[in-house]
Amino acid sequence: MPDLAAARRRPALTLLKRTAVLVAMAISFFPIFWLFSTSFKPVDEWASWPPVWVSRHPTLQNYRIVFFPEAARTFAEAQKGSLDYKVSGSAWRAFGDSALIATASTALSVLFGTLAAWSIARYRTGGASLPLQFLSVRMFPPIAVVVPIVAMFSVLRLSDTYLGMILAYTAFTLPFSVWMIRSFIEDVPAELEGAAMVHGLGRFRAFLHATMPLIWGGLLATALFIFILNWSEFLFALVLTSGKVITVTLQVANYVSASSGKLYGVQAAMGAISTLPVVLMGYLIQRHLVRGLTFGAVKR
Amino acid sequence: MTAALSVSGLVKRFGSVEALGGVSFTAGEGEFFTIVGPTNAGKSTLLKTIAGLHAPDAGKVAIDGRDITDLEPRRRGVSLLFQNAALFPNLTGFENIAFPLRAAGTGTAEIERRVGEVAGKLGVGHLLGRHPRTYSGGEQQRVAIGRALARRVPVVMLDEPLTNLDARTRIALRIEFKALHRELGQTILYVTHDQVEAMSLSDRILVLSGGRVEQIGTADEVYRRPATRFVAEFIGSPPMNILEVELEDTAEGQVVRAPGLTLRVPGPLPPGGKRGRIGLGVRPEEVAVAPEPGDATPIAGEVFWVEHLGDRSILDSRLGGQTVKVAVPPRHPVSGVGRAFFGLAPRPEHLLDLSSGRFFR
Amino acid sequence: MLELDSITKRFGEAAPALDALSLRLARGEFLSLLGPSGCGKSTTLAIIAGFLDPDAGRIRVDGRDVGELPPRRRGLGLVFQDYALFTSLSVRANLAFGLEAQGVPRAERRRRLEELARRLDLGGLLGRSARSLNMSEMQRVAVGRALITRPALLLLDEPMSNLDAHLRQRLRTELKQIQAELGQTVLYVTHDQAEAMSMSDRIAVMRGGRLQQVGTPEEIYHRPVNRFVAEFIGDPPINLVPCTVRPGTGGAAVSSPLSPASSFQPGLSPMQGEHLLALRAHDIRAVRAPGGAAGVPAKVRFVENLGAQHVLHVELAGSLVRVVTTPGLAAEGDTLHLTADLAQAHLIEAATGEVVRASGRRELAA
Repeated sequence: MPDLAAARRRPALTLLKRTAVLVAMAISFFPIFWLFSTSFKPVDEWASWPPVWVSRHPTLQNYRIVFFPEAARTFAEAQKGSLDYKVSGSAWRAFGDSALIATASTALSVLFGTLAAWSIARYRTGGASLPLQFLSVRMFPPIAVVVPIVAMFSVLRLSDTYLGMILAYTAFTLPFSVWMIRSFIEDVPAELEGAAMVHGLGRFRAFLHATMPLIWGGLLATALFIFILNWSEFLFALVLTSGKVITVTLQVANYVSASSGKLYGVQAAMGAISTLPVVLMGYLIQRHLVRGLTFGAVKR
Repeated sequence: MTAALSVSGLVKRFGSVEALGGVSFTAGEGEFFTIVGPTNAGKSTLLKTIAGLHAPDAGKVAIDGRDITDLEPRRRGVSLLFQNAALFPNLTGFENIAFPLRAAGTGTAEIERRVGEVAGKLGVGHLLGRHPRTYSGGEQQRVAIGRALARRVPVVMLDEPLTNLDARTRIALRIEFKALHRELGQTILYVTHDQVEAMSLSDRILVLSGGRVEQIGTADEVYRRPATRFVAEFIGSPPMNILEVELEDTAEGQVVRAPGLTLRVPGPLPPGGKRGRIGLGVRPEEVAVAPEPGDATPIAGEVFWVEHLGDRSILDSRLGGQTVKVAVPPRHPVSGVGRAFFGLAPRPEHLLDLSSGRFFR
Repeated sequence: MLELDSITKRFGEAAPALDALSLRLARGEFLSLLGPSGCGKSTTLAIIAGFLDPDAGRIRVDGRDVGELPPRRRGLGLVFQDYALFTSLSVRANLAFGLEAQGVPRAERRRRLEELARRLDLGGLLGRSARSLNMSEMQRVAVGRALITRPALLLLDEPMSNLDAHLRQRLRTELKQIQAELGQTVLYVTHDQAEAMSMSDRIAVMRGGRLQQVGTPEEIYHRPVNRFVAEFIGDPPINLVPCTVRPGTGGAAVSSPLSPASSFQPGLSPMQGEHLLALRAHDIRAVRAPGGAAGVPAKVRFVENLGAQHVLHVELAGSLVRVVTTPGLAAEGDTLHLTADLAQAHLIEAATGEVVRASGRRELAA
């Protein structure tokens, strides 16, 4: 039990450590700062050189373009070009579709993940190799499986459908939820379920009443992690949809016009708004989050 | 409500490890039956298999003649107290004890009554409103015992309930267990690695080692007539001394010899007794010792180390060319290192076949 | 060779974990720090080792103040609970660890390793992985690892508390033999009084951060200074029976349910107030003779069969008194007649818990 208070103090070392932390923080936060800053920039500042750090003429125009098609058209006329037809739609639908797909697939992933993790953790289903097999699915770079999946979806008529997207996202995130939830379950002694079984519950109800209440934080942390994965997924949203279903990530990518090039400011505005649901979710469950994130880390 | 529990030929393997290698015994109605053995003897595995948390590879479990081997845990009519209490941390003490009653669908009024009754008996009434993480070790155990007893079941199983407590609390709770058993009259299956605990509490004891039954008997039987070397060395503290001696027939009868000692063995020998090199079991308190040679203490030897345990002293001594531990009461004339004289009276039932590890029977 | 001088340690605002603790340890001595959990024994060990700094007081090893030195320079060896061997290393690597860390040259390392392996009978195990050892071997390797740096003092922190009773007994003997052979000074922390009694030259009983009594096992057992020590040491626990005390000239008259006929105890000058009579279970004689026998009648409630002897729990004046008897003397429900050996009893003031001492003489006369 080292007594940190008595640690020999060396000012030079502390300064070095602090500087390193500041640099790391700066590097991490810079993209977010740039995102928000750019979202308020007028057109001429979007890609100017030298770069404009904070806009001198901040405007809400980018946000208006995101939400209101008339604003987009006005903008197009002012630019003396035409906008790609996808962009003239409003972002509301993208938010709606993303919300639906991300939420549904997160819920399914956590649900199936919990059941699978329980089976693996308590009953050694699939032996020692199954958990690793699960995880190995995600060891393939997604781009490697794009073609077979597109073909499969086409045959099954799941392309460009909500059901298809939800199934795809659930499948892709399942290995993560199984892996994470398994470690949470393993941290709860199996004796508790044994006690519940001996004292009158069947196997599954024993799990529900004895173990589940103790892994709530872990489940929420897993859900948040998977929600982030789903919400920010781009590649499969791109190849598995063709217009009927549109996610936030696709919408951001679609802010490009033949004449004006990439509409960085509008993209930034869209990006800035799309961080909000995730931040909100994290805020709501923050109490459980810290416990959940570190719960599996320390093995006694 | 009480019943007889019978286990026959229980085998359980985990991969290539055989945790139980054919265990059979019967605990009578209302009996306090203890299973004692070292760590990894298979004691917990045995209880969990009887409770239904493990499925046996072979063998049967029956309560009052009814085969329960294939039943789910909750239908077997047994209750199990785990080694580490296994209280539900998210529930209060009250809810923990009420758990089996709720699972069985008991009405609220009855639950209140019963929990109050059990808590009163165990002295944990004041803990009911709190959560287990605020309890001390002893309190956790008591609440866990309460949970195990809440529903009246025929057979109550307790897996090393006192092991994780400090020595003082253990001794205090030991007698409470006895009192509790007296009151409740249920059949109790008690597991411990502490042979003093086993001897002190039980009607009968089963000594388990490496998943196999070494001996089943009352505390007296297991102490006075151990069946195997393992039992002789496991039961009793300090353990029984096993001296290596030569057994011979002479004109005066059977005699055991070792360097510096020759002793007559009162006959007749049990069948199966061979001659030659054998073991002679002698309990530490059966060795007489005195500072001067005498009729009862003719053998010369040396005490090389003394342990003062308070209620007795253990003299580590050298005689017959071997180390022998001798127990003497406090304030005994021999209480220090040095020359001393010893006396032994061999018993025929304590002659040991060294190769098989079994006493002559 | 170890001297603790008025060590005090506080954690936060609560009562101090250690309160002006002073203790001396002689070279070659085996001293146990004994007490219930929370008494401060592990804190004391941590302070001696250098993992914690005391708020006040000095620590001296062989006359040298080591308070400012980090653990590795204090000349100590440490054996942890569960032994904590490096499971990924071989026995040889485990043993040599401390020497390698100190930069001891290879030839010297090999020499010490061989000597230690001989002493501890580890010769055949050197190449084995630490994971494959049984408990006895693990203990010897853990002790060897701690001793190879030739520490002045070996510290052990409840190393056997997680082992089963039978194994503990065997390992106790082995550890004590190693210590006696090497003449190693040892400080052993435990909560198990039987363990302390069996291994120690002296025992320091602690409670609530304070020393209650320091003495040989015999002294602690037969001459406890207060109620806590009397109750903590000994299995079965000591009997405490309320008694009345009437001071008189040159002494006091004591009577209790165990000795109803008031007996005069010269030399005692107890304070006013309630007192308890403390008597060991083997200092009470019990006979079965019905009628005409002297002694207090008491009914047997429980019989604990310990093999070599029985402990009878008998009912006396509303509570249970423990009596050690030869096996088979009585069964539950029998009535026995008890005679107390008052020469071995202690008189305890109920209010302070102190054992009342006679001026000059300590024992009560029968």
